[in-house]
Amino acid sequence: MRLTEWLLGAVLRLAPRWFTDRYGDEFLDTHRARADQAARSGPVAAARLSVRELAGGLWAIARLRAGVPQEFRFALRVLWRKPGYAASCIAVLALGIGANTAIFSAVNAFFFRPLPFADAQRLVMLYETNPEFGWTGGLAAPANVLDWREQVGAFADVAMYTEFLNRVTYVRDGEPALFGAASVSGNFFSVLGARAALGRTFTWEETWQGRDAVVVLSHDLWATYFGADPAIVGRTLQIGIQNLEVVGVMAPGFTFPNDETQLWQPLGWAQENRREVWFRRAHWVRPIARLAPGVTRQEADARLQAVVGRLQVDYPQTNRVMGAGMMPLRSFLIREVRKPLLILLGAVGLLLLLACANVANLSLVRAAERSQEMAVRQALGAGPVRVARLVLTESLVMAVLGGVVGLGLGWTGVRAAAELTSLGITGATSLALDARVVGFSLVVAVASGILFGLVPALRPAGAGLHGTLSEGGRGGSPGAASHRTAGTLVAIEVALALLLAVGAGLMLRSFWLTRQVDPGFRRDGVLAVQFTVPSSRYQERDNVLAFYDRLAETLEARQEIERAGVIGQLPLTGTSWSSVFQARGWPPERVGHEILHRRADRGYFEALDIPLVRGRLFDPSDRPDGPFVVLINETFARDHFPGEDPVGQRIAYDRAATDSSTWYEIIGIVGDQHQVSPSLPPRAEVFENRNQDWRRTNWVVIRTRAEPASELPLVRSLLRELDPLIPIAQARTLQDVWRDSMAREQFVLTLLSVFGGVALLLAAVGVYGVAAQAARQRTREIGIRVALGAAGSDVIRLMLRRSLGMVGLGLGTGLAAALVGSRVLSTVLYGVAPHDPVTLAATVTLLAAAAGLACYLPAWRATRMDPVRTLRES
Amino acid sequence: MITPLTYQILLTLASADAHGYGIIKEIEEQTGASSAPTTGALYLALQRMENEGLIEESLRRPGPEDDQRRRYYRLTRRGRATAREESARLAALVAVARRKNLLPARVDA
Repeated sequence: MRLTEWLLGAVLRLAPRWFTDRYGDEFLDTHRARADQAARSGPVAAARLSVRELAGGLWAIARLRAGVPQEFRFALRVLWRKPGYAASCIAVLALGIGANTAIFSAVNAFFFRPLPFADAQRLVMLYETNPEFGWTGGLAAPANVLDWREQVGAFADVAMYTEFLNRVTYVRDGEPALFGAASVSGNFFSVLGARAALGRTFTWEETWQGRDAVVVLSHDLWATYFGADPAIVGRTLQIGIQNLEVVGVMAPGFTFPNDETQLWQPLGWAQENRREVWFRRAHWVRPIARLAPGVTRQEADARLQAVVGRLQVDYPQTNRVMGAGMMPLRSFLIREVRKPLLILLGAVGLLLLLACANVANLSLVRAAERSQEMAVRQALGAGPVRVARLVLTESLVMAVLGGVVGLGLGWTGVRAAAELTSLGITGATSLALDARVVGFSLVVAVASGILFGLVPALRPAGAGLHGTLSEGGRGGSPGAASHRTAGTLVAIEVALALLLAVGAGLMLRSFWLTRQVDPGFRRDGVLAVQFTVPSSRYQERDNVLAFYDRLAETLEARQEIERAGVIGQLPLTGTSWSSVFQARGWPPERVGHEILHRRADRGYFEALDIPLVRGRLFDPSDRPDGPFVVLINETFARDHFPGEDPVGQRIAYDRAATDSSTWYEIIGIVGDQHQVSPSLPPRAEVFENRNQDWRRTNWVVIRTRAEPASELPLVRSLLRELDPLIPIAQARTLQDVWRDSMAREQFVLTLLSVFGGVALLLAAVGVYGVAAQAARQRTREIGIRVALGAAGSDVIRLMLRRSLGMVGLGLGTGLAAALVGSRVLSTVLYGVAPHDPVTLAATVTLLAAAAGLACYLPAWRATRMDPVRTLRES
Repeated sequence: MITPLTYQILLTLASADAHGYGIIKEIEEQTGASSAPTTGALYLALQRMENEGLIEESLRRPGPEDDQRRRYYRLTRRGRATAREESARLAALVAVARRKNLLPARVDA
């Protein structure tokens, strides 16, 4: 076990220097040889050795450093003499503490770890709101942000960036590469307080004319792609169609605003944009501000509101209802993970309580075995306080050992989880085993040591000395008081397990329902690839359209491929842009809000089996120059044309459409596709024709006859034949797209299920332990009853009465707690209420069955014993 | 008076020099795996015995197949004397035990 070796190494650091200098390496060598040998004898031997070796190491250190309290050495000796007992306690605690460490590491990354920006607590995210459209925390229009920057007066400066990366092509030696490029205002770096490692960052003036001139590279790109060439600053690279001068390289680790940022380009606006309506109407930048020295967030917000109010009056056409607000940068970064993390933190807290109750029960059983010894110690003059201290020290030593093992487990677990799934940890947040995580685990360990140690520690003080000693030499059978304590603990365990299992059950049911949702398109056998047709060689619209036409022909000519089509954004991956619209003939005050837009062609709908409900799909008669035609989804038709036939109607994306607006004719209605996630309903959406609303970057969806992922090499080679300098930016199967859209739910569900399962197991073991001990203590009574002719079923009934009583109490309490507590889940559940009777009933049944079995087994075993033998033995 | 572990280490080294793991293996062979000391207890004892001059580091290697990097221990003159004294003391005690019928009489070949 590598973990034991690591822990022993840590223990050795506590030894005097001369000892480790002389014996340290040899010590670990010898241990390794023994561990290897024990591992060959099986996991039990290995675990046994681990516990003994750890205890032995601690004991040796304690001896070397004389003056360690006697209680401590006494506690270590116990671990050595009772390795089985110690190992079970440590394992249960390590499980509880490990789960807490894992979740807390994630919480730490998001909530507490310092953000990698200078004076980060002075940074605020600004956003726009629109109560009419239901926008909260929305993107902002550049013209508004520029006005805030100049007029609010409470900000040191305001920067802007776009949330999505551009993919830019760079060709070296005939090999194309794609870089993720962030578009930022010139003061982006200075607002964040980020300095360049080489060269410089942008200037504010470069916001305006810099896009065609300068670029800043990430440290990672510079190191891996450009060979960390220090002469890169000042060189000119052809990126896309532009010749850009590298002005700087950022410090390692700086990738804001996106994990995959490889370079930064200025937004590149023109000064005259500021006077154009679209610059205030289109909301597409994220503003981030640094508060001016001495200004609080409240003051800044008040002054921002004053400017916002003025803009509403000055620009009624665009700003009539536009509001704005601000939040600390950290709140913005954690806005999506906050709720799931807090739920998980609550769950592991419950799990730890359960683990403590479990260990308390174990040590209670042990205290019963030892009550004789303790009574003798007291009789010989050890005061009750001293005895309690002895017991408490033992609990603490075990808790700290459990804490150290749990820390190792939890840290390994969370790092593995972070690698397997995207926890949403961005460039600004990072996992680290820092003092806070270690401290948290140790505090939790000590707290649980006190918690579970107090129960048995208080017991011997309470039990009458005379009573215990006169109970005879049968190893002490604890009285009714002790049994009540054990029963209460078991009831607590059952209640906690029920609470956790209900949470897991609700998530499971919600997830199952989410999976049942038809996303509105075919997921099987579809591959999607995204790429950009470079503007350097495809300057005109007709070049681009011809390329896509030729690509579709080439793909469909292959017999491996059934159908191919083009779409601007894949379903279930979010929304791109939205707008208002008016239909021809509507009164001026009637406006449709918040319609989503995507561009597509006929192939997209056919490849994905998206039904045509009415009208027709796009076809070659729809020329690039018009008349312009669009398709709408069913939700659009239902929401905006109730009781009317939308096909044939004409719409324009304007609040006050006129003859000079661009008018689109609705030629058909297609089935809804979920745009964001299966658990969110489809929204009204309009599909433009990719020949008419054309872009260079698109997804191509390809329906294959075989497993879609296996056709990627074919697609790659066909694309290469058409143009060897177009790299594929992303490739995913639609099955993966679907699965990824539920990844966060699945992650939370998986963890909650594991916690629920562990809780169930711990509770069952706890119930079994208490029932088994009760049975052991009553062997004599049972022997007599059986000898006198009692039937096995009578004995079982007698034995079950008490243990089932405590299980019932636990279930009742747990159910009441679940009815109240599961409400915290309401916002993360889909299609199921927090007090869903089916889930509650199923969970209670499952837990009752497990606990019932745990009660039944020892009772049944007691009846199988030979009465003559049991009587003779006692 | 020496501790049982000290005595067992002296016994092990009486026949051949050994490294730490070798000592543990030999003790396991003599008295069973469960009575072997933990690595911590072993080095606590080795450290004390070196201090008291019962054992010392050996520079010779018993065989080429043995790990050259490991540190070997051997008995000092004093260690050997202590082992002899302790054995005699224990033998005397065993004789007493035998007289009091706590041990079966010796069966010699």
